Amino acid sequence: MNRVQTIASYLVLAWLLLLMTQASVCAQNVAGDVTVPKDVAAVLNKFCAECHGEQTREAELRLDSLASLEMTARLEVIGKAQEQIVFGLMPPRDASQPSAEQRQLVSDWFASELRKNNTPTLEDNLRLPNYGNRVDHAKLFSGGVTAKPFTPARRWLVSPQIFTERVLDVFQLQGQERDGRRLQGFYGVTNPFVLPDQSGVRYYDLTALDGGHLLVMLGNAQWISARQLRAARVKKGELKADQWENQMDRWSPKTTPAAFEQIVLKTDAPSDEEIASAVQAQFECVLQRRATDEEVRKYVALTRDAIMLGGNTEGLRQMLVTVLLESEFLYRLEFGAGPPDVHGRVKLSPREAAFAISYALGDRGPDAELKQAADEGRLLSQEDYRREVQRLLADQNYYCAPVDPSLNGKHIQSHVTSHPKLVRFVREFFGYPAAMKVFKDSPRSGGYYQNPDRGHMGSPGWLVQEADEFVIACLKQDDRVFETLLTMDRFFVYHNMDTQAGRECIELWKRSYEAIKDSDWKTKPEDVMNEHFKLLVAAKILDPRTKELWKEKRSFLSYMYYFQDTFGQGRTPFTRGPFTHGYSYHHSQSYSLPPLPERGRYERVETPRYKEPRDKPEYWDYPVEQPFPIAHRKGLLTHPAWLIAHSQNSATDPIRRGKWIREKLLAGSVPDVPITVDAQIPEHADKTLRERLATATSKQECWKCHQYMNPLGLAFEMYDDFGRRRTAESLEHPDSLIAKATAKYGADTYKTAPLISTGRLEGTGDATLDGDVTNALDMIDRLAKSDRVRQSIIRHAFRFFLGRNELLSDSQTLIDADRAYVSSGGSFQAVVVSLLSSESIMYRK
Amino acid sequence: MLTRRAFLQASAATSSGLMLAPWLQTAFGAPQTSSAPRRFIFMHKGNGLFPQVMVPPSLSNTDKEKEQRKQPFSVDLKEHELPEWMSSVAEHKSQMTILQGLSGKMCTTGHHTWQSSLGVYKANEALTSIKWATVDFELARMFPSPLEHIELACFPNDGGNARGNLNGIEKGFSARGPQQPNYAFGSPKVALRELFKSVSNNQSDRIQYELERRVLEFTAGSQTGIAAQVSGTERAKVANYAESIDAIRARNQKLEEMSDVIRRNLPQLDAKYLADDLSTTDRQWGHTEILLATLISGMTNVVTFTVDELGTHYTGLNGIENERVNLHDVGHGKGFGSLNADEIRRTVRTQHMALIDKIITRLKAVPEADGNMFDNTMLFYFPDNGETHHSTGIEWPFVVFSGRNAKLDIAGRYIRLPHWGEEGHKTLGNWYTTLLNAYGNPIEHYGELDVALEKMKRNQKGPISRFV
Repeated sequence: MNRVQTIASYLVLAWLLLLMTQASVCAQNVAGDVTVPKDVAAVLNKFCAECHGEQTREAELRLDSLASLEMTARLEVIGKAQEQIVFGLMPPRDASQPSAEQRQLVSDWFASELRKNNTPTLEDNLRLPNYGNRVDHAKLFSGGVTAKPFTPARRWLVSPQIFTERVLDVFQLQGQERDGRRLQGFYGVTNPFVLPDQSGVRYYDLTALDGGHLLVMLGNAQWISARQLRAARVKKGELKADQWENQMDRWSPKTTPAAFEQIVLKTDAPSDEEIASAVQAQFECVLQRRATDEEVRKYVALTRDAIMLGGNTEGLRQMLVTVLLESEFLYRLEFGAGPPDVHGRVKLSPREAAFAISYALGDRGPDAELKQAADEGRLLSQEDYRREVQRLLADQNYYCAPVDPSLNGKHIQSHVTSHPKLVRFVREFFGYPAAMKVFKDSPRSGGYYQNPDRGHMGSPGWLVQEADEFVIACLKQDDRVFETLLTMDRFFVYHNMDTQAGRECIELWKRSYEAIKDSDWKTKPEDVMNEHFKLLVAAKILDPRTKELWKEKRSFLSYMYYFQDTFGQGRTPFTRGPFTHGYSYHHSQSYSLPPLPERGRYERVETPRYKEPRDKPEYWDYPVEQPFPIAHRKGLLTHPAWLIAHSQNSATDPIRRGKWIREKLLAGSVPDVPITVDAQIPEHADKTLRERLATATSKQECWKCHQYMNPLGLAFEMYDDFGRRRTAESLEHPDSLIAKATAKYGADTYKTAPLISTGRLEGTGDATLDGDVTNALDMIDRLAKSDRVRQSIIRHAFRFFLGRNELLSDSQTLIDADRAYVSSGGSFQAVVVSLLSSESIMYRK
Repeated sequence: MLTRRAFLQASAATSSGLMLAPWLQTAFGAPQTSSAPRRFIFMHKGNGLFPQVMVPPSLSNTDKEKEQRKQPFSVDLKEHELPEWMSSVAEHKSQMTILQGLSGKMCTTGHHTWQSSLGVYKANEALTSIKWATVDFELARMFPSPLEHIELACFPNDGGNARGNLNGIEKGFSARGPQQPNYAFGSPKVALRELFKSVSNNQSDRIQYELERRVLEFTAGSQTGIAAQVSGTERAKVANYAESIDAIRARNQKLEEMSDVIRRNLPQLDAKYLADDLSTTDRQWGHTEILLATLISGMTNVVTFTVDELGTHYTGLNGIENERVNLHDVGHGKGFGSLNADEIRRTVRTQHMALIDKIITRLKAVPEADGNMFDNTMLFYFPDNGETHHSTGIEWPFVVFSGRNAKLDIAGRYIRLPHWGEEGHKTLGNWYTTLLNAYGNPIEHYGELDVALEKMKRNQKGPISRFV
């Protein structure tokens, strides 16, 4: 039994103990009848009773008295015991083991008991994201699994992004209007879907529509239907073109679909044929398919009655609402069609396949070519899938969109990229966008760190935006992608223009500075501006339209003092002056880079009161060419966005960081904190977090789990909770305070303690990699070389693109994807092609 | 033959993870407490609420000094005069609490605060900033009712909050859950139309109601039909939806069954309150009638009332009826008409107290069990952004009115808690935790923590035990 499994076993047993205790006091739950079959009892007695019998009760658990437990406790015990048996966690490895058949026997009986009592079985639980790693990693990649891959036939709730696209489809928007509305949204449409805030794959096929979704959709359907009919109503004279209920809500499609307009414009009741035509039109708009004859019959009846009651327009609108309320509008349907193969699997219909492929690669439904391939029967074989996926990956336009519009605000516009969905996988896997959810006490940073606030995402927004750029660069290169994501030591920071434009800007600035620096620019700025007008205009320091140079004095002097602070000290300035309107770059310190001049340094330069600063701070020598190397950092795990996302409000978080590495990179599992544990790290004025953590987790029952997290996460103590590299730890405790901050937003000064950033890597399955590490960078180098890490990322990619956990039967799919990655020299696109043309995506059962 | 109802019940029994919004569960008959329902009214205002205007003028010199130094103390209100602007609620003094010293630095503060004051987090216009259900929704779920929760708002004309359509149904200041803003009724007219349509005498409204009824019936039928064709988890995915539609129908049915009592309590609003162009004060009075009608008829147990917001352009204020008073400008010290900024602030608060008096007086007039409806009611009056116009959340004054059966032991007192940063200081999070704990939600702590207090190693979790 490996250590993770041992830990899981102990935790489960401790937990069972709690249940047993609870069972004794839950008198109101009457035990139902249960008879343990003889053959099951025999196995339990033979392999379990020695430790969990009447006399021994190891971990206070008895399995010989299941029948006497009250119902709730019994079902809980059975549920957890089933996991232990199936995953081979029990009996302990040094005890005699039941055969596979005996395990199956006991597991089946456990499952039947659970099912009989409407309790989720292990099979149900295995679909949950936190059970993703429970499938044995070695077996998955062993090549010994013969079961054929399939995905269970399913309804998969649309993602928030797909919902947006579907609404755009209802209005049949294209081109710029579609792009604009995608970002802007619709006043009357609320997205009913929210993905969980977890680090890791977030979009699974498990969620069901509920009352909350319905409530939102009721409102949405009313608004959408009214807008669908508005143009026709205006045409008929029911509304004036400028008549709006709400002046802030004045968007409407320019036309109403012909079939609807025909009914609205009629003065008498429409015929059934006309209504049927309108039903078909709404099905095409909303469900992107034709209604069946039965559906047409029902909808025509509904509409006819509604028109009789409410008139043509209102009656028709009720039909539009009703189609919008079809659950199919909110689900992706993947049931397969045609005869099953010898393994009982059914292939996705070509139409389903087209949607499955397109929604895997983006948020939109299939493009015309993919639809055509489906219509013409060219979406049946793996080769067909591969061809289409490769074509769509090469298409730079169809899915092109911002990576994350929620980043957009006053200062940031999220990067637009050809395949934002691929970037989104890396984002979700690493979880760095969560940096925007961690609120920091700004003065602790010395005042540079800005929390997200109204209209902007603050410092973490910039860091996430720069991490996105890092990811986009890695994916674009498509070469040893996983290793690059983990180890690339070049980053994007304040990258506000591409290299060519940056070079030109700096070149012109430098020429301006060199030409002017020895002149009387401080005392006779207008003369100097006049003399060098052309050059200054070319350098965008002066507005070419300016007629009165005195108005440009502030801009000119600001730039010149800025250049004096930078060029004058042999450094390159950032390609945007801190005095420009809307400047919001203050976060370079999170990369441990030197600061840039602040706006205040150039305030009132145009006035006689301005006092030229005498100091010569060592500002950051801005690298125009990006990405550029930053010392002591390698890859996303050392990116401030990731470090902040995996930190606490006021401290680092070695446990969370360690857990992330264990689960995401090493395909391991760490159980949740038992509910009986009050997980608190004790405060102490003179101890580092590492020391305090040791105090809290060194007890045997704690260390059993923490040994799988702490040694991994503690290596990252070389960075603080703002992502800054550090060599000493500030002991932020009131009793260690040395001096209060003198600046309004300054940091208090505390005693410090030497920092230790050693750690230990275990779990790669490779003896040459496992072992003590000197710091996070050492650990990252080893992780990047690990086969298990590569395979773990591929397992997560599988979950992301297929919306579910892998099963043992997906073994071949994973092996193929892994092979595709290796043989292509580390192409992530090769992984995507492999996964999306696998039998796992093609077949339903 | 398997009826839809029977099928759905069977589905519910066999499918895991069925989720209904709590009020939908209510409609299906989720367990309710056998005692009289508890009611909560949250009335919040914009532009801050100065701590100094909350202080009884008759405090002893010692207490005055403590007040000025923000030191903790408490006095019995019956031995003191109320500030003049509170005179209209003097009759309810024994049920009143003036609570000072709470802080809300973990909230968005300053001009506009969105769901912050009710959710205790930094909310802004981005939906992603809504972290969880606001406290009023938490309470509404504990004391279910057919409509669960109603939000009424005098929407701001400008500024950062929901705006544009003063008379519509717009994003409000409460949240149903993460990233789920609630929707508030902007005018008495739209609230009356939407909430009371089941008993409307208006022909057009009746037709609309009937059309919506048919749509729901059709959709429920078609979704149940789809669910019947699949099994297991897949069935749950549709059956759950179908059941939610049925739950809305059941809720409507329930409201129809309550039609007599709803009709009896139908808001009696003059035409001026139902106009599209009504003054802010008339809007407030109209909303107050809606609030009372929905509470008294039992349609809901929790109402949140945005009585104004920083972006409100007040009209109808006593003494300056013809002025259009921009509250933001008042915040910056600008006067309007014959009143200076302080006088306008006082006039606004006085108006609010008059509304509160009306609510309490009316609830007291409705018999319930061995007393009256107000016995089971708590009303909270507070700013949406803290202590002033450009607030920092260092103080968050409250006026609370608690009926006889309220679970908090605070009535009839002026209470000043330890100031921010001092030992024993309490935050909005502590306050709402107290409320939730007292009424049966055992949450360890509601709301975000204050990172600056965290740095000071202050314990800021849990309820205010002395209040329970």
